[in-house]
Amino acid sequence: MTQVISDLLLGVRLAVGGSRKSWGRLVLQGVGIGLCVAVLLLAAAIPNALKVRDDRTDSLNEVAEGTGPAPLLMEEMYVHFRSLDIPGNYVNVRAENAPVPPGLERLPGDGEIVVSPALAELLASPDAGLLGPRFPQRVIGTISQAGLVGPRDLLFYAGDTTIAEREGNRVYAFGQTYERRGLDPVLWMLSLVGIVVLLFPVLVFVGVATRLAAAQRDRRLAALRLVGAAASRVRLIASGETLVGALAGLVFGIGFFFAARPLADDISIAEVAIYPADLLPTPELAALVLVAVPALAVLTSLFAMRRTIIEPLGVVRHQKPVRRRLWWRLVPPVAGIALLVSQAGAIGEKDSRFQFYVIAGVVLLMLSIPVLLPWLVEWVVNWMRGATPALQLAVRRLQLDAGTAARVVGGVAVVLAGTVTLQVLIASVEKDVIDEEKRDLVHNFVALTPKGEFDMAAMKDAVAAGNGVRAVHVLDRTSAKLPDGSTTRVSVGTCSALKAQADVKGCTDGKAYLVRFSRGAAGAESGEVLMVGGRSAWTVPRLEEVPGISPGLFLTPAAAEGLDLSEGMPQFQAELDLAVPDAAEHMRNAIAPYSWRVHAYFYGQDDTAEVELVFGAVRQVLIAGSMLTLLLAGASLLVMALEQVRERRRSLAVMAASGVPRGILARSLLWQNGVPLVLSTAIAVGTGVLLGVMVTRVFNAEVAYDWQGTATLAGASVVLVLAVTALTLPSLRRATGALGLRTE
Amino acid sequence: MAIGHALLGLLEGGPRHGYDLKRAYDERFGQHRPLAYGQVYSTLSRLLKNGLVAEAGVEAGDGPERRRYAITDAGVTDVERWLGTPEKPEPYLQNTLYSKVVLALLSGRSATDVLDVQRSAHLGTMRELTRRKADGDLADQLICDFALFHLEADLRWLELTAARLDKLAAEVGK
Amino acid sequence: MSLLVAQDLHKSFGKTHALEGAGLTIRAGEIVAVMGPSGSGKSTLLHCIAGILPPDSGVVRYGDRELTSMSDRERSELRRTDFGFVFQFGQLVPELTCLENVALPLRLSGMKRRAAERAARDWMAKLEVDGVADQRPGETSGGQGQRVAIARALVTEPKVVFADEPTGALDSLNGERVMHLLTSAARETGAAVVLVTHEARVAAYSDREVVVRDGKARDVEFVR
Ligand SMILES: Nc1ncnc2c1ncn2[C@@H]1O[C@H](COP(=O)(O)OP(=O)(O)O)[C@@H](O)[C@H]1O
Ligand SMILES: [Mg+2]
Repeated sequence: MTQVISDLLLGVRLAVGGSRKSWGRLVLQGVGIGLCVAVLLLAAAIPNALKVRDDRTDSLNEVAEGTGPAPLLMEEMYVHFRSLDIPGNYVNVRAENAPVPPGLERLPGDGEIVVSPALAELLASPDAGLLGPRFPQRVIGTISQAGLVGPRDLLFYAGDTTIAEREGNRVYAFGQTYERRGLDPVLWMLSLVGIVVLLFPVLVFVGVATRLAAAQRDRRLAALRLVGAAASRVRLIASGETLVGALAGLVFGIGFFFAARPLADDISIAEVAIYPADLLPTPELAALVLVAVPALAVLTSLFAMRRTIIEPLGVVRHQKPVRRRLWWRLVPPVAGIALLVSQAGAIGEKDSRFQFYVIAGVVLLMLSIPVLLPWLVEWVVNWMRGATPALQLAVRRLQLDAGTAARVVGGVAVVLAGTVTLQVLIASVEKDVIDEEKRDLVHNFVALTPKGEFDMAAMKDAVAAGNGVRAVHVLDRTSAKLPDGSTTRVSVGTCSALKAQADVKGCTDGKAYLVRFSRGAAGAESGEVLMVGGRSAWTVPRLEEVPGISPGLFLTPAAAEGLDLSEGMPQFQAELDLAVPDAAEHMRNAIAPYSWRVHAYFYGQDDTAEVELVFGAVRQVLIAGSMLTLLLAGASLLVMALEQVRERRRSLAVMAASGVPRGILARSLLWQNGVPLVLSTAIAVGTGVLLGVMVTRVFNAEVAYDWQGTATLAGASVVLVLAVTALTLPSLRRATGALGLRTE
Repeated sequence: MAIGHALLGLLEGGPRHGYDLKRAYDERFGQHRPLAYGQVYSTLSRLLKNGLVAEAGVEAGDGPERRRYAITDAGVTDVERWLGTPEKPEPYLQNTLYSKVVLALLSGRSATDVLDVQRSAHLGTMRELTRRKADGDLADQLICDFALFHLEADLRWLELTAARLDKLAAEVGK
Repeated sequence: MSLLVAQDLHKSFGKTHALEGAGLTIRAGEIVAVMGPSGSGKSTLLHCIAGILPPDSGVVRYGDRELTSMSDRERSELRRTDFGFVFQFGQLVPELTCLENVALPLRLSGMKRRAAERAARDWMAKLEVDGVADQRPGETSGGQGQRVAIARALVTEPKVVFADEPTGALDSLNGERVMHLLTSAARETGAAVVLVTHEARVAAYSDREVVVRDGKARDVEFVR
C-alpha cells in the first residue's frame, strides 16, 4: 500500500516537476478540465433549478376551497403589451386575515399595485408610454424572489374593491400542488438531445485535456519503463500525474461554476433566466461530477498510454505505426443512422420508447466521430502523399502521430457536430414558429373576451370610438358536448364577425363552418346531435370545413336556428386599421378602465421580432459555447505544435542551415495543424447536418439550415489553425537559428 | 644528436662550464637517466670541433680547473634549425619532443610553432598511412592502423601540451 | 583557385569571444580539416564561413560573391544550392523515410518527386545505405544515419560540404567507414570539404589542416 502511494506521489512530482513549463501545462490542463467540470456542474444544477421553480409555482397557486366567506377575491388577467404577456391578479381584500401571496409584504388596497422587478423596469422604460394607462395604480412595492419563478418574470397584484364574489374568484389560501403534465415530448426530446450533445463533448474533452503534452509524458514514462519499472507501477505513476491535472481541474471548475452562476439572472430571455441561488446541484449529482471527472481523466490517459506501457521502445524510436483497422469503427455510425432512420416520423406514436432509440442513435453518431476520425485522418494523410515538400513534411509527421492530433480535434469535432445539430434543430423550430406567426399576421382582429357582469354595450362603444378601430363585431359563444363526450366551442355571428376567427370565403347567412384542431383531428359532424348548455339538444347542419385560428363550429345566425345561447357569453371582435401604428395598444388603452373585466388578445401581433430575438440569443449562446471549445482545442493544438518544434529542434535547425527556406517549414506547420482540423470540421458539419435532419424528421418538422452559423464555426476553425500556426512561428524561428545547431 | 642540441640550447642562456651544464641537463631532461660526465665532455668537444661552441675562459678555483663554454652564432643557427624541423613521426618520440618544447620555452622561442610543425608532420604521415590503407588489403590496413593509433596518441600529447604551454612556461621559467 | 575565403572574422556571444580574427581559404575540391580543442571556435568558424551565422566583423567571400553582405534569404538560397551539411547527429527529419530525407533537398529545388527519389537512391547506393531507404531514421544505426546524412548533403552535388564532427557519435570502425565514403564521394564530385574534427585519425582523411586556437585559425599550410 505504501508502495502504491509512493508511486502515485512520484507521478505527482513528475507532473509538477518544479519547472515553469510543467506548471504552465498543469494550469492549461486545469483550465481545460475545469471548463468541463463547470459545464457539468451547471448541467447538474438544472434539475434542481427546475424543481425549485416548480415548487415556487406551486406555492403561488391559490386554494379556492374553504369554509366560510372567502377572505380574498382574485381575478386573473393577462395584460398584453405588444409581444409581451404580463400576467397579473386583481385582488379584493375582504377580511383582516386574507392570505398574502408569497413574495408580497402586504396585499394591495384599492388603487394600489405591487409589481415584479422586471415589470417595474418595463414601466419605467421610455417605450412603455402606451402601457402606462393600464397601470394607473400607485406602486406600493415589488414582488420578491419567493413570489416569482424566474428573476425576469413579469407579474403584478393590483387592488380593486369592485370585484364581486362569483364562481371561480374565491381564494382561501396560497400554495397548492397540482399534478404536473409531463414535458411536451418534442421539448423533452429537444432538451435530451441538447444535453447529450452538450455533455458528450465535455466528456471527450476531459480526455483531450488529460492528453495535453502527452508525448513528453509518454517519453518520461517510457524511460521509467526502460529502467525497469513494471507496467503496473508505470500505470500508477501515470495515474498520479493525471490526477494532479484532474484535481486542478476540479478546483478551477468549481471556481468557474461559482463565477458563472451570478450571470444566470442576466440572461435576457425571461423564460430562461434563473435566480443564481436556485442554481445549485444536488449533493448526489455534484458528487457524481466530482468523482467521475478524475476517474474519467485517469481512465482515458491509461487507455491512451496502453501502447507505451506495453512497448517502451515505441516512443524512443519513431517506427512506422500500426495501421488502424476500419471495420469496428463503422459500427457506431451505421447503427446510429439505422436507429434514427427507423424512427423517422415517430413523434406521433403513443409509445414513448422511440425516444430512447432516438437518444441512442444520437449518442452513437456522436461517438462515431472520435472513433472514426483517427482512421480518417490517417487515411487521408496516406492518400495525400505530399505533393510539395512542405506538405510531405506535414503529412509524414501526421502519419507518425496522427493519433494525438486526431484525438484533440476529435473533441472539437464532437462539439462542432453537436452545435451544428442544434443549429439545424433550432433553425427548423424557428422556421416553424415564424411561419405560424406569419400566417396569423393577416388577422387584424382583437378578440375581446368579457368576464363577469357589466355594461357591455358601453364597453363596445368605447372600443368602437378607439383610434384605428374600423368596426366591432359580436360573436355569441357557447360550448357544446359531442356524442363522444368531448366538448367543442360554438360561435355564432355575422359573416364579417366570423371572418375574425375563420377563413370563411364566400360566406352567406345560413352557412355553417368547422375548424378542426389540426388537420385530420376529430370535430363535429353534420347531423350529429350536440348537447348545448347541458340541457338543449341541437342538430349540426351541413358543415363546410375551413382553416381558422381556433377550433370549433362557426355559424351564421340563420344556421344557428334553435341553438340555445343563454349559457354563452359574447365575444367582441374589434377590426383594426393596421395603417394606424400601435392600433391594438390604443384600443386596449381605450378600455383600460375595464381592467380585469376584458381580455384583449390581438391575433395579428407581430411577434416575429420577439421570436427572432429569442432564437438569436440561443444561437449566440451556442456559438459562444462552441467558440470556447474551439479555443480550448486551439490551446491544445498549440501545446502540441510547440512541443513538436522543440522536439525537432535539431532537425529543424539543420534544415534551416542547409538552406531550407523558413517559409517551407512554416507552411508544413500550417498543413500539420490544418489537415486534422479542417478534416474534423468537415466531418463535424457533415455529421451535425445529418443528425439535425434526421432528428428533425423524427418529429415531422420541415428541415431548415443555419448556414450562417455553420459557416461561422467553420471559419472560426480556419482562423484557429492560422492563429495556432502563427503562435508557433516564433519558436520555429528560434529553433531554426544557428543556436539550434548547438548541442547541449 | 639530441644531447648536443640540448646542451647548445642550454648554453643560449649564457656561458657555463661542463659541470653546470650536466646539472642543468639532469634537472630538466635527465629524469631517471643522469648524463655521465664523459658524455658531456665528449659532446662538448664535438661541438667545439664543429665550431658551434667556443671556450670562454677558465675559472680558477680549488679543485679541478673549470673551463667555460659559450655558444657561437653558428650554434644558435643550428639550434634554430633543429627546433624548426619536425622529428620524423614515429612512436616513442616524446623525449626529444619534450626537450624541444622546453628548450623553445627556455630560449623564448614559440613552442606553439614547434608543436604545430610537429603536428603537421604527424598528420602528413597519417595521411600517407590512411591513403595506403584505402588501397591496401586487410593486412596492410591492420598494420597501418597500428601506426595510426600510435601517431594519434602522439598527436593527442601534442594537443595536450599545446593546451598546457602557459603552465609549462611558468614552471620552466622558475 | 580559392573558392571560399574568410578574413579576420570576429564573433562574440555576449562576453564569450568565439572568434577573434580567424581566417582561412578553401580551394575547389580540397578537403580541409579544421582542428582544435573543443570550445576553440571551430563550429562557430564553420557556421560563419557557411553563411549560417553572420560574423560581427570580417569578410567571407565565396567565388566572386561576398557572403557577409548577402541577405538572409540569399544566403539561405546559396546554402541550398551550393553547400551541403553534415552534423554530428539528429539532422535527419525523423518522420520522413531515409529515402525521402535524401530526396528532400532536390524536391526543395523543385525537382519532381520521382526524379528526386531516383537520384537519392543512387546516392544512397554510393554510400552503401540503399538497404535502409524505406526505413525511418530512428530505425537505423548511427553509422547508417550518418551515411544517409552524407548522401543528403551530396545529392545536390554541392561545391562545398561542411561537416561538423561527422563521426563524433560513432565508434572508430564506423567512423572510418563514414570518412572513407564521405571523402571518396566528395572527391568523385569534386566537392570541397570543410571537416571540423578534433580527432587526428579523422583529420587524416583531409588534404591539409587548419588549427583553431582561442578563436584564431592558423592556416598551417602558410606556416609551413
Ligand atoms: N550561441 C552561443 N552562445 C554562447 N556562447 C557560445 C555560443 N556559440 C558558441 N559559444 C561559445 O563560443 C566558443 C566557441 O564555441 P564553438 O565554436 O562551438 O567551439 P568548438 O566547436 O570548437 O567546440 C565556446 O566558448 C562556446 O561556449
Ligand atoms: Mg563544435
